[in-house]
Amino acid sequence: MIEIRNAKKSFGKNEILHDVSIQVNKGDVIVILGPSGSGKTTLLRCINFLEKADAGTLTIGEQTVDLKKASSKEILEIRRKTAFVFQNYSLFHNKTALENVMEGLITARNVPYEEARKKAEDTLAWVGLLAKKDAYPSQLSGGQQQRVGIARAVVLDPEVILFDEPTSALDPELVGETLAVIKSVAERGITMIVVTHEMSFAQDVASKVVFMDGGFIVEAGTPAEIFRHPKEERTKQFLARIISAENMYYI
Amino acid sequence: MGFNSIYFYDSLRSGIQYLPNTFQLTFIPIVIALILGTVIAVIRVYRIPFLAPLLVVLITLYQGIPLVVALMIYHLLFIAEFNDFAAALHLDTSMADINLIWIGIFALSLQATCYMEESIKGAFFSVDKGQYEAGYSVGLTKLQTLRRIIIPQVIPVALPMLTNNIVGAIKGSSIVMVIGITEVLAGSVIPSSKTYAFFEGYIAAALIYWIFTILVEKIAARIEKRGDKYRRNLV
Repeated sequence: MIEIRNAKKSFGKNEILHDVSIQVNKGDVIVILGPSGSGKTTLLRCINFLEKADAGTLTIGEQTVDLKKASSKEILEIRRKTAFVFQNYSLFHNKTALENVMEGLITARNVPYEEARKKAEDTLAWVGLLAKKDAYPSQLSGGQQQRVGIARAVVLDPEVILFDEPTSALDPELVGETLAVIKSVAERGITMIVVTHEMSFAQDVASKVVFMDGGFIVEAGTPAEIFRHPKEERTKQFLARIISAENMYYI
Repeated sequence: MGFNSIYFYDSLRSGIQYLPNTFQLTFIPIVIALILGTVIAVIRVYRIPFLAPLLVVLITLYQGIPLVVALMIYHLLFIAEFNDFAAALHLDTSMADINLIWIGIFALSLQATCYMEESIKGAFFSVDKGQYEAGYSVGLTKLQTLRRIIIPQVIPVALPMLTNNIVGAIKGSSIVMVIGITEVLAGSVIPSSKTYAFFEGYIAAALIYWIFTILVEKIAARIEKRGDKYRRNLV
């Protein structure tokens, strides 16, 4: 189980997270929705200590750490239980697809080379990119890069994978293949927290939808509750705008 | 002005004899600068408190002094203080035992460190912040990320600048003749002091420097090509 309690974060005078708490059960797929600047990405980055929160605690499994005062040893332990999929893929430019997937296993987890290679190849095959294993990121399309990014996260077998707008930087054509892979990650029963603007993905895959605005969690519930019967006025407004925009896209 | 090819050959031979000195005055400072420059660049890139701002101040101050002035100061300090210094440390050496070339190497090393640090820092900033975060996200420590992800990407960017720095260091090394160190330039004009054929002497020195720098550039171009394999397809 993963729990974030009372996370707070400001950049200068700009308060991005006001006292956010979330609880995630094993195997849950949490989708965080909300307008730009609502703090979704910051929340995700705080969980992986890519951003240091000003207050709050994080519990993963048995381990509880202070989001502000965690030692570098604790941070490393948390990072080794989590994995992150970046909006702009952030594959290691100096490594091939296979080496990208192997890096965390070999260097961070001390898995023997042959075993790591086997595991990495299996995972690449699973995202449909085994044929591209020796390609450098610069030789891959955005969608392929993101699938390698997902393989790099999945291969570590983490307690939770954090997805930060994984399809936002992709061509509309490539969004589908990437979402399909993310969906199959969810089907493996891996716990995930996903920040996205893909409403239909949220409806299909999420076990819980969290709506954030202005650094607060406005509303949380099952996809059916949030999409069909939103309680809060702010959620209704947001959904009305997004859904009418999506319909326009289909016209 | 006439050109006497016999005097020219004399100067050429004399200059070439002192190539090992120029070699030392170039490559020892470059190696020192590479190590110190990388360490300082890392300190500045990671904004290590206290050390980073201190180094910025020191480098800015040092870069405001012309190399000749620094050289003169070190030379003077050496002459005035070395024997007392050695006595205080109970060292069994006197000024006469020390080759002056080390003063040149010292001054050139500090100078090269300042230039090198700037180049390397620039190369570090060319690596996207996301590369660090990606390293941390798969559980690498700061040092592992630096060693396995960042530095391999810094090197190909820094190489052309490194070549520039080496070429600059070769040519810059001739300045140490002002404190009486004999290298290619001073060596080339040794025969001229008897024959007054200074023109031939300087042309000989120019030719030696020219061949030396061309060689370095050719070797560097080869290395750069090899270090570029993953960047080849970058648009």
